[in-house]
Amino acid sequence: MMLGIFQAGAQAQVDVSVSTLVRVGINPLGGSEGSMGTQVLSADLKRTGMISPVAGGSGDYTASGEVTDSGVTGKLTKKTGEEVFSQTFSGKPRAAVHLFADAITKAVTGLPGFASSKLAFISDSGGAKELYLGDIDGYGVRAITHDGVISASPSLNHDGTKLTYTSYKSGYPDVYLIDLSSGGRNRIAFFPGINSGPSFSPDGSQIAMTLSKDGNPEVYVMPASGGSPTRITRTRGAETSPSWSPTGDRLVYSSDDRGSPQLFISSSSGVSEMDHLVTGNSYCTKPDWSPDGKLICFTTRTGGQFQIGVFDVASRTAHLITTSGGQDPEWTADSRHLVYSNNGHIYLLDVVSHQSIPIEAGVSGAGEPTVSR
Amino acid sequence: MNKKCLGLLLIAATLTLAACDSDKNGNYTDMGGGGAGGLPQGDNVDLNSGIPPAARGNFNPNDADYQTLAADTIYFAFDSSTIPGAERTKLANVAQWLKANPNHSLFLAGHADKRGTPEYNRALGERRALAVREYLVGLGLPATALYTNSYGSDQPAAQGDTEEAYAKNRRVQIGVIVQK
Repeated sequence: MMLGIFQAGAQAQVDVSVSTLVRVGINPLGGSEGSMGTQVLSADLKRTGMISPVAGGSGDYTASGEVTDSGVTGKLTKKTGEEVFSQTFSGKPRAAVHLFADAITKAVTGLPGFASSKLAFISDSGGAKELYLGDIDGYGVRAITHDGVISASPSLNHDGTKLTYTSYKSGYPDVYLIDLSSGGRNRIAFFPGINSGPSFSPDGSQIAMTLSKDGNPEVYVMPASGGSPTRITRTRGAETSPSWSPTGDRLVYSSDDRGSPQLFISSSSGVSEMDHLVTGNSYCTKPDWSPDGKLICFTTRTGGQFQIGVFDVASRTAHLITTSGGQDPEWTADSRHLVYSNNGHIYLLDVVSHQSIPIEAGVSGAGEPTVSR
Repeated sequence: MNKKCLGLLLIAATLTLAACDSDKNGNYTDMGGGGAGGLPQGDNVDLNSGIPPAARGNFNPNDADYQTLAADTIYFAFDSSTIPGAERTKLANVAQWLKANPNHSLFLAGHADKRGTPEYNRALGERRALAVREYLVGLGLPATALYTNSYGSDQPAAQGDTEEAYAKNRRVQIGVIVQK
């Protein structure tokens, strides 16, 4: 399936970005897993939107190496033959190739790659809404809950080792924390009312969430290890979907205190002044702050349709980046791509080129994607 | 609000919160006293409405009987938790019913239509349920007999992408709980 999302002027941006693509030549990788490795590496580099993988020897850089069951020994050289890095990436072959791709991406673009990111989302394809986990390229996606109750709003921590989400296992919406290495699951917030929409702080030590224990849905922050929540908002409206600034000192969230939902920023350490982000749209929810701190993506309703918008923190201006629908966006590590959902499918959107590609996870009824970063 | 009034509300809130118990299935009523993220500390009075926040009851939410008061399901406008004037006579019926059946409690289940982000819809369902609770307290029902939950857009009453289906899904269903 091909889904092109263009806005007026987007085509020109595509041309500009194509002309500035970094050409990385890939020498077919050796070793027992070499042919898989070559394919995965090429796809990873292409997915960055900033690199054009070409045949070995014909690019600005050349990548070479070996892939075995224990990992990757990878090398990147400049056209001149000068070595950029020579490094061992240990782990399962496919995971190690993703690490190699991210090292190349960082070296040639200066931006962190997201090839090694984990992807989690919710799907009701098996009946109830369950939690799914896999790689950001759609590989290895499987259901990790089989509870037969509503699961919702997953959030991965920065390195993809922990996940927090909402589950109705108790009959009520509670917040749970899953250790993805052991599979251990703990309920960390189960106050009267709703406990929902958890989001890891950048360092993983705290979780912001919505609780209605004090009368109506408000944003709170609590230690990831459990404990007492600190109240962040105090309004007559509902505050939802908190997302952290990269420095962890502020939160952006949605509040309908002024009627329809709007975006606001507050301190993450206690109740403070609410800074209204004027986007020009009356319905704005589910903000996510980019890892570089510059942009906040969100869901907005315009002309009866839900689209994704981006708010520029410095200029305080917003614009739409989809025209064919989309919601629940979340940034990848490079602050240039978003994962989002539309009509039960998960997509990866390049906010520079405005190109959107489906993430083929083989699961229908999918929504609320989250990535580690 | 004067100090005396606030004090009474604090006592009411404490009593409400103390009424939670563990259940035979060990699941839905475990409010985690003593554990991390357990019972809220100290005071919990909603200064906005002046009504103690709803606690979780000693029953399985899935056992609520939605048939008895099915005709009194409250419907809402898109993105609104204001109870429409035309829906208010239903709540008068509900209040009469509970007064006539004082050994029961009500479970107010808030829902939203599927449009929009799931998290906002969960909060919207909660606000609808809380709005109904507040209205019923205003009609003289005890806050301690009124439990709430929100299912967001996850449990639609009607399937489909029509305005007709959406209208049926923006609702608060009134569940009946048999409780001593």
